[in-house]
Amino acid sequence: MEQEARKALDVIHADHIQPGIPTALLDLQERKLVEVAKVMVKKPEILVVDENTTALSQKGRELLYQLMDSLKKEGKAVIFISHDLDEIKQVCDTLTVLRDGRIITHFSKENYDDDAIKTSMIGREMQGDYYRADKEPTWQEKVLLQADHLTGSGLQDVSLKIRAGEILGVGGLSECGMHTLGKALFGGAMLTGGTVKTEGKAYSDPRQATRLGVGYVSKERDTESLCQQASIRDNIAIGGLRHIQKKKLILKRRETAYVQKQVDALSIKCRHMEQPVSAMSGGNKQKVVFGKWLGAGSRVLILDCPTRGVDIGVKQSMYQLITKMKNEGKAILIISEEMAELIGMCDRLLVMKDGALQKEFLRGQMNEADIIRCMI
Amino acid sequence: MKNLKRILCLALCLMLTLACVPAMAAGSTKIGVLVADATGAEALAFRAYYEKYIANAYDVEFIYSEELNTADGEKNAIDNFIVNNCKAIISFSSVDRPAQIEQCDAAGIYYAVATGTLTDEEYEEFKDYEYYVGAIGPSLNTEFQVGYDMAAYYIDQGMTKFGIFGGAVPYRTDMHIYRAASMLSAMIDKGGEGAAYQGVTDPGAVIGMIYGSGSIETGKIGNLELAAYVGGYDFDDAWFGKLAQMAGTEGIEAILTVGSGVDVLGSFVAGSSVKLATVDSFTSAMGEAMNSGIIDYVAGKFATSIGPIFVATLNAVNGQPIRNEEGYALALDQGYWVAANAEQFAQYYAVDSSEENPAYSKDILDAYAPAGVSYEDFAAFVAQYSFDEIVALKK
Amino acid sequence: MGKQTWKERVPAFASVLGLLVLIAAYYIVGAVRDANVAYGLKAIVNQSVVVALVATGAVFIYTLGSFDISLGAATGVSALLGAMAYNATGSLAVMFLVCVGVAVALGFINSSLASIFNLPIFVTTVAMMSVLSAFMLILIGWNGAGDTIKVKGRDMRPLDNIPFKVVILVLYIALCWFVFTLLPTGREAKFIGGNPVCARLSGINEKKLGIIASLISAVGIGLGAFLTIIYAPTLTKDTASSIGMDVIIAIVFGGMPVSGGPRSRILSAVVGAFSMGFMTQIMSMLNLGSGYGQMIKAAIFLLVVFIALGSQRGKLLTR
Repeated sequence: MEQEARKALDVIHADHIQPGIPTALLDLQERKLVEVAKVMVKKPEILVVDENTTALSQKGRELLYQLMDSLKKEGKAVIFISHDLDEIKQVCDTLTVLRDGRIITHFSKENYDDDAIKTSMIGREMQGDYYRADKEPTWQEKVLLQADHLTGSGLQDVSLKIRAGEILGVGGLSECGMHTLGKALFGGAMLTGGTVKTEGKAYSDPRQATRLGVGYVSKERDTESLCQQASIRDNIAIGGLRHIQKKKLILKRRETAYVQKQVDALSIKCRHMEQPVSAMSGGNKQKVVFGKWLGAGSRVLILDCPTRGVDIGVKQSMYQLITKMKNEGKAILIISEEMAELIGMCDRLLVMKDGALQKEFLRGQMNEADIIRCMI
Repeated sequence: MKNLKRILCLALCLMLTLACVPAMAAGSTKIGVLVADATGAEALAFRAYYEKYIANAYDVEFIYSEELNTADGEKNAIDNFIVNNCKAIISFSSVDRPAQIEQCDAAGIYYAVATGTLTDEEYEEFKDYEYYVGAIGPSLNTEFQVGYDMAAYYIDQGMTKFGIFGGAVPYRTDMHIYRAASMLSAMIDKGGEGAAYQGVTDPGAVIGMIYGSGSIETGKIGNLELAAYVGGYDFDDAWFGKLAQMAGTEGIEAILTVGSGVDVLGSFVAGSSVKLATVDSFTSAMGEAMNSGIIDYVAGKFATSIGPIFVATLNAVNGQPIRNEEGYALALDQGYWVAANAEQFAQYYAVDSSEENPAYSKDILDAYAPAGVSYEDFAAFVAQYSFDEIVALKK
Repeated sequence: MGKQTWKERVPAFASVLGLLVLIAAYYIVGAVRDANVAYGLKAIVNQSVVVALVATGAVFIYTLGSFDISLGAATGVSALLGAMAYNATGSLAVMFLVCVGVAVALGFINSSLASIFNLPIFVTTVAMMSVLSAFMLILIGWNGAGDTIKVKGRDMRPLDNIPFKVVILVLYIALCWFVFTLLPTGREAKFIGGNPVCARLSGINEKKLGIIASLISAVGIGLGAFLTIIYAPTLTKDTASSIGMDVIIAIVFGGMPVSGGPRSRILSAVVGAFSMGFMTQIMSMLNLGSGYGQMIKAAIFLLVVFIALGSQRGKLLTR
């Protein structure tokens, strides 16, 4: 059985994955690759890849693209479902756009046009800037988050500050430690040294962090940021129970008003707030997560891959929201594997490699090639 | 999905309706039966006698409880009988008899004890209760005798090394303590000069020691030896290990059990020379055990031994309760049949095992079922419980 | 924004509808069988109230996605010690305080062990169940009065009545409902049960909730133990032994998933306990043999749970 598994993994060139290891011990990317290998064992004539690449690093994506290419050469077909326009343009020969369950239009490779594709996806022309309009870094003087000499769980003496009204980005390759850094800044990672403070007050676990006004949007939205069986109401309200309480009691009317405010502010599409979040699209789920922390009045927001698995229209609205939060004086940390997102949104960008910060780039001086050079 | 739900609902309604149909036809006198054991061979034999023979012969309907081992379970079961308009309850369950009697008395339904007795104190308290019919079963003296006779049987054959399975002795169950104590008493009486159990010879003192410790110590009793003892019904690996160890004790000749001998030790003694004796019942399962040599000696109740208490209950329901000359409830002793070999067992069993003509058949019971039977006649009838007396009654 | 349709609300009320159907069936069968239905209602309350009390408190633990397998043993020990306290003092108030106090102490031990050793509550309750079962045997042995511990039935009679038991039940349910619905405790517990990782990352203190849940559950156990002594003043090693399983059945029958989480409801326990009570009474009135009765109970149980759990996924959301 192990030999067959080895063969299946070799087909997709996933040499680094050992077939004998329990899948629970693999990270999300490796599990995705195992899924792909499992499907390829059946030697399909038509392969459907549905939103798999968001979980994969560049290396993982390359493996998948290679596989798709080899299938194409064998005369087989691949249906590739994605929100990522760059990726679609890179690997697909034709593109069919769906919206609200209906086919809108088709594009062939020679006719790919970003604006036309985006317009057909969201049903209207995209208004305003996709990312931030301003080109210069701006922030206030006050430091809202300070981390000193964070060590442990793969982090190597990481120190940073985020000021009010600043968007700080952290980028790097998939295993560079940036996701662990995000957790550590929220008090959710095991550290052997270092401190994290907000407005001078130190904290070391998520409970203290939330009480001090720090919010965290995890990369693993479905497993760490949301309770799938719970309703929109429950998922949003849980972050701000102390704001909803009146004389220690949670009254339904106050809770409804609290949740409704976030639903309206974020334009969360739903039939009613009792709807379980499991039935929602990725973009709306992410809005619920945002609503949880915004409703709680978080002054510091740690956003790990905030637009992963979200379509272009919702992405734009999220960038606009993040910009609005910056303008309101919040301190925002964006951790992302999407270069364009980091360059488009951040005032400062820190590059991580092997658990340590390598270099800082300022807005207006961010060059993709330089950044990638630091990451590798 | 919708259709599936509809089908399930309809099926449920149909089941309940069908279940109602036979119930609607019933109009018999209802008698509730409280049981502590619903699945043992003895319990099943008792139930078959009541449901398959007595119910048809006397137009009564028996409603059985679940297996009961707590006082609240007994109370719940009696409540259920009251809801079902039972006129009487026959009880084989003894967790809290006083509470059972009080509850029945308050509800105005008759209560009778089968195969058991009240303690002397309890009898004094309840003997003049209007709705207490009485008890027919082995008295503690009878329980003492059955254990004594069992041990004496083997000692008289020259055996000297024994094991005892104490059953519910650790739970301070009177019946088992008396049986176990009497086995020790037989060993004391027949163990020769200086034979004693832990320094005592008086049966009352032996009973008291067992009550106090909840256990029995092994050791020499004169020229006899109690080589092994296991008590309780743990039914875990350690407990089974102890039973296996007892059966395998070097030189052990017979294991005397206060009950459940086949169930707890049958597999361990099968194929060995160790004799296994038990207090149980005269059922087909016991017959198989005797034929296969697993059981060597059984003192047991016969399946229809619960006939007289039914008659007493029926008389009470019909407005003619049987009371003694002082007007008190019944307290009649009923003992065991003893078979010391397979042939004897088969002979006894043949008299009682027929569903068409059991030992206490309608013909025999009818002599005492109509109203007006005297206490003396009834007591004399109950006292004739030995095999020979039953055979004589049937002639 | 719209509201839930009636179809979406049905699963939440399926168990209540099931109870109403069972009540109707009880009266119908009672009429057909010429049963004493008024007495039967009393019997149902007596038979269901202890399970309802213990199950209502246990909802807090099950909501966390945890499990307490020692409920029966804890009730038994609390009852035995309460009875011994009454025999020593002759005071019903002392008996009450001992029942509740012992239960709370046991709950505190369970949750503290779980907290200190970082174990799921279920694991510590498995150990406690064995310890408590053995302790019951020791207590009965100490008592030196055969295989039971008794209090005088006559002394309990003034309290052995339906109004008293119903008042205790209603007050406890009200307390639990208050804590579960109007305080953050219930919401946080549901979140832990639904996704403990997300709960932790939302700032919820799982250990503190575990202790609170154990203590609330323990009060229910103490009250159940008190009523057990009042109802059946002879206690044995098997007293309350079936409560653990009865609680699980009651909770699930009441429409709450045994894995807890956001769909937990405090009233599931009492609805389920009384549903079981009515069903048992119906089977008894029909004089169904043990096997048939169990099969029909199982079929009704599956049906109610099937409808109550329903389907969580609505239509796909339009963009």
